[in-house]
Amino acid sequence: MISPLRPAPPLLLLLPAMALVPVLVALPFLVHGGGWDLIAQFLLAALHPSLDPLVLGSALSGLGVTVAIALLGWALSLALGLGAGLLSSRTLWATAWGLRWPAELIRRLLALPRSIHELLWGLLLLQLLGLQPAVAVLAIALPFGALVARVVADQLDALPGARLEALRAAGAPAGPALLTALGPALLPGVISYGGYRLECALRSATLLGVFGLGGLGTDLRLTLQSLQFNELWSGLWLLLATMLVLEGLVRLLRRRWCLPNRFGAGASGVGRRGREIAFLILLLLPLLLLQARAIGVDPMVLLHWNPLPNWGTSLRPAEVLALPWASLVGQTLGLTLLAAALAVGLAPLLLLLVAPWPWGRVLLQLVWALGRLWPPPLTALLLLFALKPGLVTAALALGFHNLGILGRLLLEAAEAAPEGAEQALAVAGTGPRLALLHGRYSALARSYLAYGAYRSDVILRETVVVGLVGAAGLGTALLEALSSFAWDQLLALMAVYALLTLVGEDLSDRARRRLLRCP
Amino acid sequence: MRIRQPRALACASLSLVFTAAAATTVCGGLISRAQAQVKAVNPTPATNRVLRIGAIPDQKPEKLNRLYGLLSNELSRQLGFKVRYVPVTDYAAAVTAFRTGDLDLVWFGGLTGVQARLQKPGARVLAQRDIDVQFHSVFIANARSGLKPVLNVKGLSQLKGKRFTFGSESSTSGRLMPQVFLAKAGVKLTDFSGGAPGFSGSHDATIALVQSGAYDAGAVNEQVWKSSLHDRKVDRSKVIAIWRTPGYPDYHWIAQGDLDTRFGKGTTDRITAALVSLRRTNPSQAPILELFGAQQFVPAKADQYATIEKVGREIGKIR
Amino acid sequence: MNLSPVLELTGIQVPGRQQPRLCDVSLRLEAGERVALLGASGAGKSTLLAVANGLLVPEFGRVLWEGQPRSRSRRLSRRQQARIGTLWQDLRLIEELSVQQNLNAARLAVWGWPRALLNLLVPVETAACAAALERVELEPALLGQPVTALSGGQRQRVALARLLRQEPLLLLADEPLASLDPRLATELLELLLRQAEAPRALLLSLHRPDLLAGFDRVIGLRQGRLLFDGPVADLQADTLAQLYAEGP
Repeated sequence: MISPLRPAPPLLLLLPAMALVPVLVALPFLVHGGGWDLIAQFLLAALHPSLDPLVLGSALSGLGVTVAIALLGWALSLALGLGAGLLSSRTLWATAWGLRWPAELIRRLLALPRSIHELLWGLLLLQLLGLQPAVAVLAIALPFGALVARVVADQLDALPGARLEALRAAGAPAGPALLTALGPALLPGVISYGGYRLECALRSATLLGVFGLGGLGTDLRLTLQSLQFNELWSGLWLLLATMLVLEGLVRLLRRRWCLPNRFGAGASGVGRRGREIAFLILLLLPLLLLQARAIGVDPMVLLHWNPLPNWGTSLRPAEVLALPWASLVGQTLGLTLLAAALAVGLAPLLLLLVAPWPWGRVLLQLVWALGRLWPPPLTALLLLFALKPGLVTAALALGFHNLGILGRLLLEAAEAAPEGAEQALAVAGTGPRLALLHGRYSALARSYLAYGAYRSDVILRETVVVGLVGAAGLGTALLEALSSFAWDQLLALMAVYALLTLVGEDLSDRARRRLLRCP
Repeated sequence: MRIRQPRALACASLSLVFTAAAATTVCGGLISRAQAQVKAVNPTPATNRVLRIGAIPDQKPEKLNRLYGLLSNELSRQLGFKVRYVPVTDYAAAVTAFRTGDLDLVWFGGLTGVQARLQKPGARVLAQRDIDVQFHSVFIANARSGLKPVLNVKGLSQLKGKRFTFGSESSTSGRLMPQVFLAKAGVKLTDFSGGAPGFSGSHDATIALVQSGAYDAGAVNEQVWKSSLHDRKVDRSKVIAIWRTPGYPDYHWIAQGDLDTRFGKGTTDRITAALVSLRRTNPSQAPILELFGAQQFVPAKADQYATIEKVGREIGKIR
Repeated sequence: MNLSPVLELTGIQVPGRQQPRLCDVSLRLEAGERVALLGASGAGKSTLLAVANGLLVPEFGRVLWEGQPRSRSRRLSRRQQARIGTLWQDLRLIEELSVQQNLNAARLAVWGWPRALLNLLVPVETAACAAALERVELEPALLGQPVTALSGGQRQRVALARLLRQEPLLLLADEPLASLDPRLATELLELLLRQAEAPRALLLSLHRPDLLAGFDRVIGLRQGRLLFDGPVADLQADTLAQLYAEGP
């Protein structure tokens, strides 16, 4: 029985967009109008990127470093993640050693690296390892590895155990039995998630550059700060092209390897995927080594740890306690909720608005691609030309970035969903917007919102990157502590961040499970 | 369809290889810059010595690149070994790179210099510009903010309740000293609109953001402000200077303490001499001093920065 | 009183890959007529119905609904579309919504946004929905149920009720009985035939000649061409055999 006044799924999808109301109300007070000419210059410069060979050369070499950092970090995270994922799988421990508790323990331990944003890893490792390219690679590999581990372990433990039991009962040893029974079933999920992580790695590598850890992000930030918009766009277009090629490639491989073969399992089909994957890995390995050499990653630096300077003298518990914790945490949570609501709610709303015009959808795709590409701190800096600093500005920057990610996901899901219901409504005279809302959003609502819950959790971690707008909670305080080399404050702030993220992760998990459970 | 699949795979792998190869080639081909940017150099063998110089990124990168490119060449010529400029994009990262030994000679601000010396005992203060003995910051304001030029420090109290931005968190002229003078006027950081000041990241960004109106006011390095005025990058109808601070010591060169053992006896003194010998009258040295905004460099001592260390400790930037 | 036929097709041609999917098809459907569309698989039944509900624009030929052509170049006007009702073989119910919300979805063509959004929030126009359910012999108590909770037969009827709620003039149905067991098929057909009184008209495609009893007229398609168009009584066994014959 559906009780009265309970929003139906399609409406549920639009509900987060209600966050627009307070933002729109606040906007007139936020606009200071001083920098419209700068914004106009910025937009116009999109049409005239600088073609100066020096600028292009610099952007290309920056892009090379960013791509190399992304690829290396990603590859390392997959390796780490697969290993740690297997080690934190209950099924594996139970099969091999008849124990379960080590799996639980490792799982809990892995929550820590996961809960810290890659930027924080980067800034922290920079202090310990020095100005090394390996820092950026590790900063991506560690948190991503923990994320991959979680997905691998979850998938492994969710697979039905009957096949494994059958093989074990027939006397197969633990290792081969696990590989044969669970390996093929695990592969599509790992490939699909791995592809997604590669896209994330490119975005993260760019972001790390914005904070001075090398690559194109550095150029982007410096050209923006010095208002060299034409040079900025040279880098942006290059990055956009790279990102779209990468996304296209990932989609292609995912479709090829993860969809069931529609043409039946012919003789050539059996084992084809495995051979192709092995081929690609063989191809990738030398490439990764070359890239590591090219950007000067040296594994030996891991052996040279620099102690934190004046560690002993900087411990001042009273000052740590005196930080305005309540308002910092409050701001961070407010920022997260606002940014998440904007990103989750705006994607379906915008898609609905442009539903009658095919070119509107193309335009939207372009804007979303730019949103994904554009690191949030840069959006924040750009917004400051027109808006006053503060929480809403930070939320808009963060929301825009995540809108790009969620929008693409929504569009892909919408295109993959059966079109029958929408077509039936359209043929009966319903307008394109209402037909989309009722016919297609209904089926998408739950899975999209479930992803939105997961994304909010990511956004909470990401709030640290818009700290430089000011008044943006823990992120701002963290950057300040870092520049004062106040290790005690830094550690306390990171601990609070990690705690918040873990609680947030738990909440978003619950929300997701509830959403995915049938009504 | 089945026939086309291998071709699709070939295309896919080819394009992947191509993308990656392109990236690698680019890295390889233009490696110098990439390496300069992030690569650390292991303890340099005596036969292949490179002095790595760096600077806090307080200005536009293209200006920094030009300036330190010229300076590297000049030092290289005078010292007889290779000198390379390593760009750093963050004040705190410059301090860290000095501590971890990734930079040998760094152009620090007052505060970052003290931070670096405290983190790396043995480091030596070499020289400063003539203007650094008595350096100044300028408080600037958006013309529409209603803020008016003031004659003394007490006048800064009009900034209460306004949107205010510093430059980088660790900037001496863009943050530390302005904060000291604000405190003298009775303005706390929490008195600003929004409960906190902004940190634009650089002096150029501060000027752009105050000019646009994002912030009502900000504090910048006087030398950057003057050169922006000179280059007509500033729209004087939109942004005005409201107060110039009294003088304080600022930028200076700091070198690692072990240069004499690594590059030969007396190297540190030779570097100081080379810096101090730069003259406006020498055509190849003039553009360097021009870009530094100085007449010449003068020797400097660590104890000149005792006041900076004191106020740095007071506001918690030095511990 | 509008005396134009409900649907008039003249010289319809729809090209296909090897042979035309429809070739020079003309037919008129008057108010109150109940017409069955017969033909083997691939004879062009679905194509004809797609032309009739406006989804497919034929290469050649003219389509008139109540004497009116397409008001715009490629699309029908909302008002025209609202008068054409289709019963889809896969029903196309919105699984996530309740029965009542599904029934109301048929009114979206004439409703504005406020009522469309309200429908997603609270029960709207309960009386009209209950009436529609009664016409297909279902209990109004079902209104609050999610459609996923219904049995197969109930879902068929809800889809039909949604069609009625649209209040169309032209009723189209593409093999609505194909996947139903004999008892359900007969029941649904009876309901459909009962609704198709003047001024309405019904065009229903069928692959079972044994169910022709309630129809006024039969149209036979073979390889995209009109082979037969006449009263049910005139349909001879050899024509029927020809309709389902193999080969060209």
